Amino acid sequence: MADHDRSTVLEIQNLTKRFARMTAVDNVSFSLENGKLMTFVGPSGCGKTTLLRMISGLTEPTEGKIILDGEDITFLRANARDTAMVFQNYALFPHMTVSQNIGFGLQIRKKPKDEVKREVERLLELVQLQGLGDRKTQQLSGGQQQRVALARALSLHPKILLLDEPLSNLDANLRVMMREEIRKLQEQLHLSIIFVTHDQEEAMSISDILVVMDNGIVKQIGSPTEIYERPIDEFVANFVGHINLFEGEVTDISEEKMTFRTKHGDLKIKLSEFDLSVGDRLKAVVRPESIGIASYENAINSSTNIFKGIIESYMYIGSVIRYTINAEGKTVYLDESDPQYMGIFKEGDPVKLILKDRIHLLPA
Amino acid sequence: MSMPHSDGYFTKIADDTRQFFRSPGLVAVTTVAAVLIFLFIVFPIGSVLQKSFTVSYPTVSIRYRHNIATPGDFEKKLIHPVMAVLSPIPGLVKSSVVRENPQTVLIFLRFEKFWDDLKGLNDAKRAIRPIQATIEPHIEEVKYKLSKERIYSTETYKDFFANSYYWHSLRNSIILAVVSTTIITVIAFFLAYVGLRGPRRARGPLRMIGLLPLVAPPFIFSLSLILLGGRSGIISKLFDLDFNLYGWPGVIIAQAITFLPLGYLMIENVLRSLGTNMEDAATDMGATDYDILFKITIPLSLPGILKAALLVFLLAIADFGNPMLISGNVHFLATDAYLYWVGENNLEMAAVFCVFLILPSMLMFIIHEFILKGKSYTTIGGKPQQGEERSISGKILYPMLAVVIPVSMVIIACFGMIFLGAFTKILMINNTFTLEHFNSPNGIRALITSVKFALSAACIAPLFGVILSYILIRKQIPFKRVLEFSSLLGFAVPGTVMGVGYILAFNTPPIKLTGTFLIMIINEAFRNISVSLEAGSSKLHQIDVAIEEAALDMGASAMKTFFKVVLPLISSALLAGFIYTFMVGMIAVSAVIFLISPGNDLAALYILAVAEQGMLGMACAISIMLIAVVLLCLGALKLVARYTRTEVY
Repeated sequence: MADHDRSTVLEIQNLTKRFARMTAVDNVSFSLENGKLMTFVGPSGCGKTTLLRMISGLTEPTEGKIILDGEDITFLRANARDTAMVFQNYALFPHMTVSQNIGFGLQIRKKPKDEVKREVERLLELVQLQGLGDRKTQQLSGGQQQRVALARALSLHPKILLLDEPLSNLDANLRVMMREEIRKLQEQLHLSIIFVTHDQEEAMSISDILVVMDNGIVKQIGSPTEIYERPIDEFVANFVGHINLFEGEVTDISEEKMTFRTKHGDLKIKLSEFDLSVGDRLKAVVRPESIGIASYENAINSSTNIFKGIIESYMYIGSVIRYTINAEGKTVYLDESDPQYMGIFKEGDPVKLILKDRIHLLPA
Repeated sequence: MSMPHSDGYFTKIADDTRQFFRSPGLVAVTTVAAVLIFLFIVFPIGSVLQKSFTVSYPTVSIRYRHNIATPGDFEKKLIHPVMAVLSPIPGLVKSSVVRENPQTVLIFLRFEKFWDDLKGLNDAKRAIRPIQATIEPHIEEVKYKLSKERIYSTETYKDFFANSYYWHSLRNSIILAVVSTTIITVIAFFLAYVGLRGPRRARGPLRMIGLLPLVAPPFIFSLSLILLGGRSGIISKLFDLDFNLYGWPGVIIAQAITFLPLGYLMIENVLRSLGTNMEDAATDMGATDYDILFKITIPLSLPGILKAALLVFLLAIADFGNPMLISGNVHFLATDAYLYWVGENNLEMAAVFCVFLILPSMLMFIIHEFILKGKSYTTIGGKPQQGEERSISGKILYPMLAVVIPVSMVIIACFGMIFLGAFTKILMINNTFTLEHFNSPNGIRALITSVKFALSAACIAPLFGVILSYILIRKQIPFKRVLEFSSLLGFAVPGTVMGVGYILAFNTPPIKLTGTFLIMIINEAFRNISVSLEAGSSKLHQIDVAIEEAALDMGASAMKTFFKVVLPLISSALLAGFIYTFMVGMIAVSAVIFLISPGNDLAALYILAVAEQGMLGMACAISIMLIAVVLLCLGALKLVARYTRTEVY
């Protein structure tokens, strides 16, 4: 390809995979820049693993193209590709030691023994498993097995590293630790990584770019902030966090702000990029953490961006308190991040909800 | 998908034997089970062992009261003349004349081993007559009695090794089992591998072919090989060759086909549970199909493959029907044990043959139970991929197909032979179509007996096995390992041995069962409880013990819990055990051939008998009817299973 951009490591063009009874991946296109971490995220069965397996070569696409580093690899067999995968269950070979696992790819390529040994030592150090090379893989903890799988995948210096829900078998604390480590490793070695997960928090925290998928279709591609703050539709908005949705109509547009009328009251909202005209019916997406709360007696002068409600229930999580509020028949969720400061409202307390002006709008 | 593979995963309800003794119901059930297992498995095997170390001689003892006063006269008048008369008696091994007390003398005669009992009595009387004549004047009273002297000795073993026509059978059986097992393991692996990783369209048919021999009686392939490659078989007739398969080639081919399904089923199961995850990982690391096969797939499935090989070995060395039909003049252990038993009435030698049948089986069994058990690489987790399985490339596929395709053709040809044989007058001599072979009242009677026999055994074995599995898995009982081991023995020990053992154990009071239909059923049932036991155990391992604890907690008694909660949950194991026992019962040969009584002929034995008499057409026809009955019953069971929503695996 003449116009190939050197900074693009992977390009996916109209990739489709149809199985006998369903289309797992439907006309997906995107590209990945060198040294970036991209995450495929979506509910289970959305096609993210199939997409990953097509990139690895383990599953053959029905249509479309996969271009790795300028080379069309669509029909190249998996064992001839410059990709390496970390499997969900690690797929460590149980009849081999840790070192043999890590050195497998090099040994298959008939590298000299001492070179394999040196490389394995280096990788063991890289993933902080020095001295465990002679262990059997079953003798390792989940986190250690994860590191072995990672080292094995890195042994071949792949152009792109594919991680298939690598953290899903670890417990919560370890999961957070490992994802930070993967991120660190990625930055340190300048790796291009595709990471598959169904955990939105994991996806948000680790990625440069998120690919949100549903039903085999890519819903939205963007940075975590873009996805979170400007989701393209309700599905994406819901998938990456909790939301409150207010339906309404644009009643007035001024230079900077517009007025959005809901049945709970008017909202003044900063103008967003897309064209709006008076009379448009839209949905306002409001995250629970961007709503403030005040007692009913609190005198707030403005009447815009204030809704009234009654506390229905609350859940104290520690760092946050989540209120469920009945705002004139609509259930609104609200996260208060410093509950000690305001005091905790009890069930039945009348409150005022303070909505900020940076509200994301979706077409109804 | 992770399965608990240790006993410790689910805690036992009672972890203390003291609790066992506090439950009278459990003690009663366990005791009954243990007694039955001992009586019908351990005791017969023990009887065989005992017999093998016994040499029994027919003896005649004659006691005289005499009227000779002085010892010197005694020697001259009594002993010398007696000795002179005794020496020429045929078959006499040992004789002694002892003076018991001043007035009585005991003459003791021990005859040769094969001295016929009935004839012996007459011989004895005839032998005594000259003695009586010689010493008549001195005799006051004569008492003689015919009995057997049992001597514990290793004489029969010495005999065995001293004569090549004995020990060659052992050597041949071992060679046969090793060769057959190797061939079967390799073919079964290829078949399973191609069936799982080969071209998608070939997968179904290959599986069919792999399992096809399962429905046939175990010697049917010998029958078809005789039709195909016997002295006047198709091959020699068509190509006008002096060619036949009798002897080694025939037995090996017949065994390879007969026991292929078992090897195939087990190895396919191993490969299936291995999944493609490891292979995917290796592919991803750049390994070729060849690398993957030898560095990943084979090493990982080796424990499972060895287990399959061991089981095939057990069946091959114990095989009765195939050597019986097609071995020509090559001798094998199982058939020879039968020949020495029935033909020569040499019970001791038959028992020694049985011991040599037990030994390799026990060795294999011990290897399986204590070395290979639990040694498998179960691959954990991993979501099943969407209908997509790894396909292998031609480099590996074609060499494997080069083996798999001819084997498949031979299997199909064998079934074709049976049909040809059944519907022609005499295949290759008079190829006219006929149905006369099916008109065999004796054959049909035997078929009906077989169904009764198999159904009866299939009613006993699964229930007993499943109850036993519950006791062994969930309860802490004394001598647990002993009970478990004993119950598995019935399966591990070759049928021939169990047949001989049952006759030895149950031909005298207090338990005289020989000659009855019941002994055949009991034998078949107890040889097969271990299969139901295993089915029950694996099912129980999948059921959380908390379910039973919940029932106990709700106030159900231990018995109620078992019958109302456990039994319904493991009913699929019962059904699986029932189907297995029934199928095996329909085609049973090796043990029942010893226990058969007039009027209770079984179909498989009848086929064997008519085939041996050269009535191959009739043998084929009854085989077809037998297969049809088995398939019909299986179909009916499947309907029952579907109707009751019980899954059978």
